[in-house]
Amino acid sequence: MKKALAILLSLVMIVGLFAACGGNTNNETDPTGATETPANVNTEQINVCIASEPDHIDPALNSAVDGATLIAHLFSGLAKWAQKDDGSLEIVADAATALTEGVKNDDGTITYTYTLRDGLTWSDGQPLTANDFVFAWNRAASKELAADYGYMFEIVDGYEAMQAEDAPADAKLNAKVIDDKTLEVTLTTDVPYWNELLAFPTYFPVREDVVANEAWANEPATLISNGPYKMTAWSHNSVITLEKNDSFIDADSITMKKINFYLSDDANNMLANFQNGDWQLIDDVPTNEIANLKANYPDEFKVTGQIGTYYVCWNINEDILPAGAEVEDAETAREEIRSAISLLFDRNYIVEEISKGGEVPASSFVAMGLTDADNSEFYKNAGTSSDFDGYYDVSADAVQSNYDTAIETLKKYYDYDEATGKFTNFPTLTYLYNTNENHKAIGEYLQSALDGVGIKITLENQEWNTFLNTRKQGDFSIARNGWLADYNDPISFLDMWTSGSGNNDVQFGKGANKDLKHYSMDLTPYGVDITVENGTWAETYDLLIAKIKTCTDTELRYKLMHVAEDMLMATGCICPLYFYTDLFMINKNVQGFFSNPLGYKYFMYTSIAE
Amino acid sequence: MNSKNIMYILKRIGLALLTVWVVITVTFFVMHAVPGGPFLGEKALSESAMKTLEAKYGMDKPLMTQYFTYLKDIVTRFDFGPSIKQRGRMVIDVIADGMKTSAKLGLIAAFIALIIGVVLGAVAALRRNKFIDKCIMVITTAFVSMPSFIMGALLLIAFVVKLKWFPGNGATSGGLVLPIITLSLYPMAYITRLTRSSMLDVLGQDYIRTARAKGVSKWKIIFGHAMKNSLIPVITYFGPMIAYIVTGSIVVEQIFAVPGIGRAFVQCIINRDYPMIMGTTIILAILIVVMNMVSDILYKVVDPRIKFD
Repeated sequence: MKKALAILLSLVMIVGLFAACGGNTNNETDPTGATETPANVNTEQINVCIASEPDHIDPALNSAVDGATLIAHLFSGLAKWAQKDDGSLEIVADAATALTEGVKNDDGTITYTYTLRDGLTWSDGQPLTANDFVFAWNRAASKELAADYGYMFEIVDGYEAMQAEDAPADAKLNAKVIDDKTLEVTLTTDVPYWNELLAFPTYFPVREDVVANEAWANEPATLISNGPYKMTAWSHNSVITLEKNDSFIDADSITMKKINFYLSDDANNMLANFQNGDWQLIDDVPTNEIANLKANYPDEFKVTGQIGTYYVCWNINEDILPAGAEVEDAETAREEIRSAISLLFDRNYIVEEISKGGEVPASSFVAMGLTDADNSEFYKNAGTSSDFDGYYDVSADAVQSNYDTAIETLKKYYDYDEATGKFTNFPTLTYLYNTNENHKAIGEYLQSALDGVGIKITLENQEWNTFLNTRKQGDFSIARNGWLADYNDPISFLDMWTSGSGNNDVQFGKGANKDLKHYSMDLTPYGVDITVENGTWAETYDLLIAKIKTCTDTELRYKLMHVAEDMLMATGCICPLYFYTDLFMINKNVQGFFSNPLGYKYFMYTSIAE
Repeated sequence: MNSKNIMYILKRIGLALLTVWVVITVTFFVMHAVPGGPFLGEKALSESAMKTLEAKYGMDKPLMTQYFTYLKDIVTRFDFGPSIKQRGRMVIDVIADGMKTSAKLGLIAAFIALIIGVVLGAVAALRRNKFIDKCIMVITTAFVSMPSFIMGALLLIAFVVKLKWFPGNGATSGGLVLPIITLSLYPMAYITRLTRSSMLDVLGQDYIRTARAKGVSKWKIIFGHAMKNSLIPVITYFGPMIAYIVTGSIVVEQIFAVPGIGRAFVQCIINRDYPMIMGTTIILAILIVVMNMVSDILYKVVDPRIKFD
């Protein structure tokens, strides 16, 4: 009797379930009938966790990937990232009717004119105008706002004048409102990544009366946006809820009605919520679980490329020559030594046994994923050898030959004990890293690899903020480092090494290196009339970067960027280990999801099969 | 209440204020002495941006000036200023947000711990060396010695991942059940043991024997005479414990993704969000000082033999 009752109850429940799904389907039918939504698909809500509480949801102030993901759902710029049918990504017009070609002016600057689509509104119903863009750009670039990503407007005419010490208060970018629907912006030089910048959050519009309240982006009530979603709830440090903005111009194409962004920074907690089915996507996993997850969740554990490089950086002012050594050209010697040490590391071991996240062994600084002039991978064209990509061979077969080369080089400067196979007078170095299991494990590997040849390094870990400070001040000998690109252009990896750059951790052109007349550069083979013999870093590298930034010939520009990377790598101060990947877990029933190479995740076109 | 008692309370308040001032001063200078700063990031800010921000938050002035300005704002207006990291939000709002959750969690956990702890402790004492006493002692020993990150992780695996009884995040009230349990286990076990030993002590006293000899009923002896006196050590423990538990446990909040003050506190230190560090430290210090004071005063209420001096 009991059994019969149980079966009956189960049947009722199953029928109920189907009935519920059926109800859903009716709501989801595409009004155009162009695409047919499969039965039992849930588009009511999706729960995801990409990070903890975002620092900013103000497009101008945000500089983090999680903030950018939220902004990409809340705001809509002139351009956006979109997924093509074949799964690849492209930048397409969003608020603009089209991504136009620029018009070259007599002074070499380029002017772009954009027309806004009809019917664009803010989430409070007010119309979106060209002025909202121009205002937002001037605000983001202003000295007063002091935004992390203010420099994203560096290529816009007028930016430099705005940043000058004695800039007048009314200094503005060369961006003009022609009428409510038309705006015009002038760039100092044409750059291939301009459209990508338009799809970057810093370039998204904000409205003057909205941002007059400094706390506008902290509460749903004051956060007026213009994108596919509006924020309906924000329980700080807990969950942010976005709901579909029905008045959004492309609302028809947005499938998911509600997205809950849970805020957690604990990878174990994220995993628990994913495993019990509450969350459909988590953007972090515990490092020590990676191998397990890969095996047990083959359909749900995802690895995608991310434009970034994990590397070890040397302090250029650290003397590593043996005490009392008499070397004719000390800096050349140091360059050779640093480059040789870089060959002693087995990068395949690091990515396969330590980080385990599908990272790619790196042989150049400019990361995988950045394209060259002909749209091929920039890193594949780097270096001088045609036998391998980059500046040295990172294949597993080359480990021994790399090792031999390194030993031969180092023998020139240090005493080598043939019996033990170790150097005896290499000064002890310190490897600095920020407290983190993965960084520690990599540090320990570097330590053991060097110990094998008699080079002692001690490991020192510091808490994140202290670490940043120490590294920036150049108060280290070797340090862990990493860089993620802001946009798809190699310059974002190269201009950080100019003497005055705040990200120049190696200390090029600073301290003792400032007056060192050691660097040479000959650009005549590229048709540029610049030759420097034995100049300082500022006289060579800084000049080269300035040249690249003003170069309007795309092909030449890329060639010069290869020259810059060659110069950088020749110093041996940068020892790339691997190219970053983005690891996340996504429920296998989620359809229509994509992420871009900058790590932004897009949920607006998702649905969940049930 | 006589004047001696009032003097005592006034003295305690004065001492409490002094303690808070010392905490403010030490935190302020130690915080600034630690390397790093709120405007450091993986990607460096330009120098002019750095200057603008330092001026905005008054950090361009000499440290002593900053210190006195801060003290003045606290004393005259109880103003903790704006958070640096969460631009546009006031420190007091961020703290209030976190405290709401932490206090709810902490108070429920504390009272569960108190009630269950006292009951179990009394039962163990009355059934001394019997099976039930031994069971209680074994379990409480386990809870006292097991750190919350292990207990929390175990509960998370069992009830969130395997059984799926509760959500694994503190965004909904269902998600607060496991953190409350995790938070309450240690103090509960501790209170059980405290109550048991002090109850045993009291039960051996002369006045209990007298009561028994006079033929007072067993329950009246326990609840009317023994219980009240055996709670003194529990009160000593309970006051500071409430302050401790209410101010949030970073471990528990982390494991269960609870939006409490503990997480905010650790985060603001990592970010060097100076006003947030000061604000949270001061609020926590005040709470602990006040709870200590309250438990001291409560002694007197429970046991009139205790004299203030």
